[in-house]
Amino acid sequence: MGALAIKNVTKRFGDTHILKGIDIHVDSGEFLILVGPSGCGKSTLMNIIAGLESPTSGEVHIADRVVNDVAPKDRDIAMVFQSYALYPTMNVRQNIAFGLETRGVPKREQEEIIARVAKMLQMDHLLDRKPGQLSGGQRQRVAMGRALARNPKLFLFDEPLSNLDAKLRVEMRTEIKQLHHRLKTTIVYVTHDQIEAMTLGDKIAVMKDGIIQQFGSPQQIYDAPANLFVAGFIGSPSMNFIPAHLASEGGAIGVSLQSGEAACFVPLPDSQRFARYVGKRVIVGIRPEQWDVANDGGGLDCKVDLTEPTGPDTIVFTQINGIEVQARLHPRDARAPGSVLHLRPDMGKVVLFDTETEIRIG
Amino acid sequence: MSVTSRPAHYGFAEHWLPRLVLAPSFLLVLVFLYGFIAWNGALSFTASRLLPNYEWVGLAQYEALFASERWWVAVHNLFIFGVLFIGGAMVVGIVLAILLDQKIRLEGALRTIYLYPLALSFIVTGTAWGWMLNPGLGLEKLMHDWGYAGFSFDWLVNPDRSIYTIVIAGIWQSSGFVMALFLAGLRGIDDSIIKAAQIDGASLPRIYWRIILPAMRPVFFSTLMILAHIAIKSFDLVMALTGGGPGFSSDLPATFMYQMAFTRGQMGLGAASAMMMLVTVSAVVVPYLYSELRRSRHV
Repeated sequence: MGALAIKNVTKRFGDTHILKGIDIHVDSGEFLILVGPSGCGKSTLMNIIAGLESPTSGEVHIADRVVNDVAPKDRDIAMVFQSYALYPTMNVRQNIAFGLETRGVPKREQEEIIARVAKMLQMDHLLDRKPGQLSGGQRQRVAMGRALARNPKLFLFDEPLSNLDAKLRVEMRTEIKQLHHRLKTTIVYVTHDQIEAMTLGDKIAVMKDGIIQQFGSPQQIYDAPANLFVAGFIGSPSMNFIPAHLASEGGAIGVSLQSGEAACFVPLPDSQRFARYVGKRVIVGIRPEQWDVANDGGGLDCKVDLTEPTGPDTIVFTQINGIEVQARLHPRDARAPGSVLHLRPDMGKVVLFDTETEIRIG
Repeated sequence: MSVTSRPAHYGFAEHWLPRLVLAPSFLLVLVFLYGFIAWNGALSFTASRLLPNYEWVGLAQYEALFASERWWVAVHNLFIFGVLFIGGAMVVGIVLAILLDQKIRLEGALRTIYLYPLALSFIVTGTAWGWMLNPGLGLEKLMHDWGYAGFSFDWLVNPDRSIYTIVIAGIWQSSGFVMALFLAGLRGIDDSIIKAAQIDGASLPRIYWRIILPAMRPVFFSTLMILAHIAIKSFDLVMALTGGGPGFSSDLPATFMYQMAFTRGQMGLGAASAMMMLVTVSAVVVPYLYSELRRSRHV
């Protein structure tokens, strides 16, 4: 059963097109991430799903029902906001009860629900406090509790972790994921943080300029980004984009890489799919961890410009084809700045992009 | 860490300069505010008539004050005026603020229009409303000229109603100011709180009543303070609009005091009434200041 379907939704303010034809389908129980840089329209899309804004054209279906003309309160949704949006003059208990009260849930039942939610989120001791007396993480928890109390068909999270400090953000991320495993409710989650997108989502919709650039599972998006934007947006440190000539040498199609004086020709596997690009310039996308150190003497001799040890890995900076390239290496393989490393890309995972359209080739 | 010893004159300046700078204003306030309050207090225990004298009569002026019918009319009027003016200005101001907060067009222009009456002095407000409410000149005459001969609106000249005309003019003057205060408060409310409440199923009136207005408590109290002291010391509006009349039916304590002290040669009585007003204002302001100061020390 489809929990949420968005069909050709557009949104326009005067001449400004915020959303230019969005299509999304989410199955029941799935965790959908809307991710993109600020101004990409993800929050507008979220507001349209919630019913706080109406689309200029297109349809929104929740649980196989068109909800375009249904008020937010009747859409059977609950929403968690970036600023938590707790009612400042009410204590936690009243905050959770407010929505139940408006819906005419009997007092006894309200209390049962509050007790259940408080237990689930371990916030029994906070129930009588006002939002002003809570820390950021606790407010976040209360906001989630308020959403949970309603037991809706669809949860909407609008950048819920953006106001938390780094450590708490990771903790709450895990908690949200556990919650989703336990409740199996469909979740739509807006974020600009690609790590949140990768770790939480079953499906990710990467958005830019009001268009969905790619819609798929986190792994699909990571391994086979649809275009240069998605490739650069997902992954940290981000993918290296190396401009190169696609050439045919001795029957194999490959690219030539050059670093300082050194140069080498790297053949691509299964290369016939690139045949029509031979002789043209392409952009070679290699993720930092797709570099290996070739101790057998192969690979490209690169001079190390800078290193950034992160603990488990060391990021090595070098120049290839005139572009700064980052390689994520095991600390054992890294060398100090100034020395030379034999770097070899894992060509099985490399992706190529058209220079003009910026779309992935092959 | 090394401690450098400062030149001696620098320490002297640092010690005395702030005091020297503050001294003139301190002296002025001391003499012209607290000094004159004390003088007025002293006069209220004397038999001063047209000019101050120092013939002590104890509490006789206060006894005369409390026995005066006119004083009680003024106090009663202050009660009516205070309650209706504060309540009315508050309600009208809040309603205007809420309506203006609905992201409407021309908000800036409308806000200015509503705030403009505050730029007028109460004298101008009183005079203008005096013309409008004057049965021979204003609204009543207009309606009669239009042919509604039965129309009657004579509150300005009706001793039982004259105080209400002051209320009307006062509300007209001050509700824009209340609106501005509340509008600023409403702007401080996070938009997503309203969205959350909408998703929670609350109607707009309910959102305002249950969530937004309760969050306006500090604004509410500041406004109450400001309006309360405007009400208690109201003088110019009454003088311009009704002159305390007809008779003394629309007297307020401030006009009573003025009449007694400066036109009827009852300076001792006027001083006593002024002391009563001081006590009333203090009763309103001191608890407020106390709670505000205590709060700022805790935060």
